[in-house]
Amino acid sequence: MLRLALKMLMGDRAKYAGLIFGITFTSFLVTFAFSYFCGFMTRGFALIAENPVANVWVMDPAVESPEQTINLPDSALNRVRSIEGVNAAWPLALSTAVARFPNGRFQPFQVICADDATLAGVPALKDGASPAMLRAPDAVIVDPGGTDGKLETPILKSDQWPSGEPHLNAPTRELAVGDELLINDRRVLIRARSDALPRYPPLPLLYTTFPNCARILLPEPHLLTFVLATAAPGVFPSDLAARIHDRTGLKARSSEDFKADTVRWFLINSEDVGDIAAMLSLAMSVGFGVTGVMLYMFTNESLKQYAVLKAMGASSRLLLTMILAQAGLCALLGTGLGLGLCGIVGQLAIDQANYPFRMMWFTPVVGAVMVLLVSLVAAAISARPVLKLEPGVVFAGR
Amino acid sequence: MESTHNAAAPEEQFAVQCRGVTKSYGTGDARVLALRGIDLDVRPGELLMLVGPSGCGKTTLISVITAILSQDSGNCEVLGRDLQAMNKKERTRFRGSSIGFVFQFFNLLPALNALENVSVPLLINGQSRGSAETRAREVLAEVDLGTRLRSLPAQLSGGQQQRVAISRALVHDPKLIVCDEPTSNLDHDTGRSVMTILRGIAKSPGRALIVVTHDPRIFEFADRIAHMDDGKIIDVVDGKNRERTQ
Repeated sequence: MLRLALKMLMGDRAKYAGLIFGITFTSFLVTFAFSYFCGFMTRGFALIAENPVANVWVMDPAVESPEQTINLPDSALNRVRSIEGVNAAWPLALSTAVARFPNGRFQPFQVICADDATLAGVPALKDGASPAMLRAPDAVIVDPGGTDGKLETPILKSDQWPSGEPHLNAPTRELAVGDELLINDRRVLIRARSDALPRYPPLPLLYTTFPNCARILLPEPHLLTFVLATAAPGVFPSDLAARIHDRTGLKARSSEDFKADTVRWFLINSEDVGDIAAMLSLAMSVGFGVTGVMLYMFTNESLKQYAVLKAMGASSRLLLTMILAQAGLCALLGTGLGLGLCGIVGQLAIDQANYPFRMMWFTPVVGAVMVLLVSLVAAAISARPVLKLEPGVVFAGR
Repeated sequence: MESTHNAAAPEEQFAVQCRGVTKSYGTGDARVLALRGIDLDVRPGELLMLVGPSGCGKTTLISVITAILSQDSGNCEVLGRDLQAMNKKERTRFRGSSIGFVFQFFNLLPALNALENVSVPLLINGQSRGSAETRAREVLAEVDLGTRLRSLPAQLSGGQQQRVAISRALVHDPKLIVCDEPTSNLDHDTGRSVMTILRGIAKSPGRALIVVTHDPRIFEFADRIAHMDDGKIIDVVDGKNRERTQ
């Protein structure tokens, strides 16, 4: 009978196609929305992901994410280095600075100060540039940091650093190696462009060394935001983090824990994330509504056929099994197509528009489970009139 | 109570034996008495036609006889089984194994071909697909549809569809077949050919047919005709000479 149930389903090609399309759409929408959300969150902890060598991040006890930080005393680096189980430790500082472009326009940047000894924390550079060039005075690396069209400088030399009025409307091109910026009245020279991970919220990035940071940033009492450490062989990062916290009183988190903290911080503190989550919830609700209504309508429109089967002695259990089989097949096909479509569209969105899309292992699983669940619930709801159906309706007089 | 059943010998077995069957719908002021004490016997090998105006209770009566509805009072034995004594599951199983249906609008499942449609009762009764299709093929051949096994209902004429429906009603060898207006959607000739088939079926040993109809052109195929009005059987006549049988 299950084979016949599936034939009944596929017999009405238009409805069947509509049902599959509806579930595919829902599956696509749910998984895409979820992957989009994961993409945002991943960008939120891009700084942590960008430093894969570091097992442990040490910071001020009040810091909960790289998004909102306060600096540590300079002594923190040596204190961490002195702890048993630390294989290596190096500093990393974050700051913000407003950079002026040669035409007079300006743009806030996140300034990332890397250890000048190891240059750890400097991302991969474009055009084969060597990170060592950062050691030159006033050398910086710039990166769009997930922004688009924010790093523009005048094409013509005559529009750069004009002596009179700024040339704000001069035609521009993208910043390139050799261009200059002005930060706190100090000129910096772009020595390379990087392929850093895009950030959330998007903000152009400027990498340089600690000595250069000290020169271009406004004077601060301390210039140390994080101490990054690697655990000695055989030492678990979480154990090392606990030990560092016990010995120094500073907050220390393993990389994975710090990523999780960051996601939590965004979920709690970012209004944008709340808006995105609300929008995604709405999209998911619409998708689920579409799936549920279509499945319900399909079963409802076949009531007469079920009445015939019931009159001929089909038990309620058999009819329920048939409906669940139909819903299950539609859900499986629709989910599969939706996930495939989501993967293709997501990859296109990444390639073409640098879209914050990240299909992690659990996003298709969650999407599929939710769509299957909704399909089964809708099937169960639509089965109710079938089970309540009085088979006498098949007679002409009824 | 008006008695409209045949005087039967005490040892006589009936395919259907109803005594004082009542059935109502709704409650309070909205209560409608659809059956008002029906007495009816149908013998094996008999084709009984049930006729009467719309709303007279024909459909309710066949719903009770086929264990689709429960009567409010009275007794109804079908193929020797007391329907009132059965629970819902048993009634469903009984219907599936012992009763065949032919509907006015054929009610074939549109997505299934003739062979699959005819297999359905056997599959419902738990037979394997292979044996169900073998038997369905045989029955379809008997009604001259052996060459249209893979045709969908939409690809068949009205008469062919009704023959598929008859095959479906017969395939599991039920002892009672209930036909609801089997010829009302067919032209005269096709209707007669369908009735000829049904008449032949009724003559099979131990099998009885109840045909609900408005179509006077087919009365000649009946062994007896029971006239219903206002929830009662008012008259039962012989199908051939139209003489009252009780």
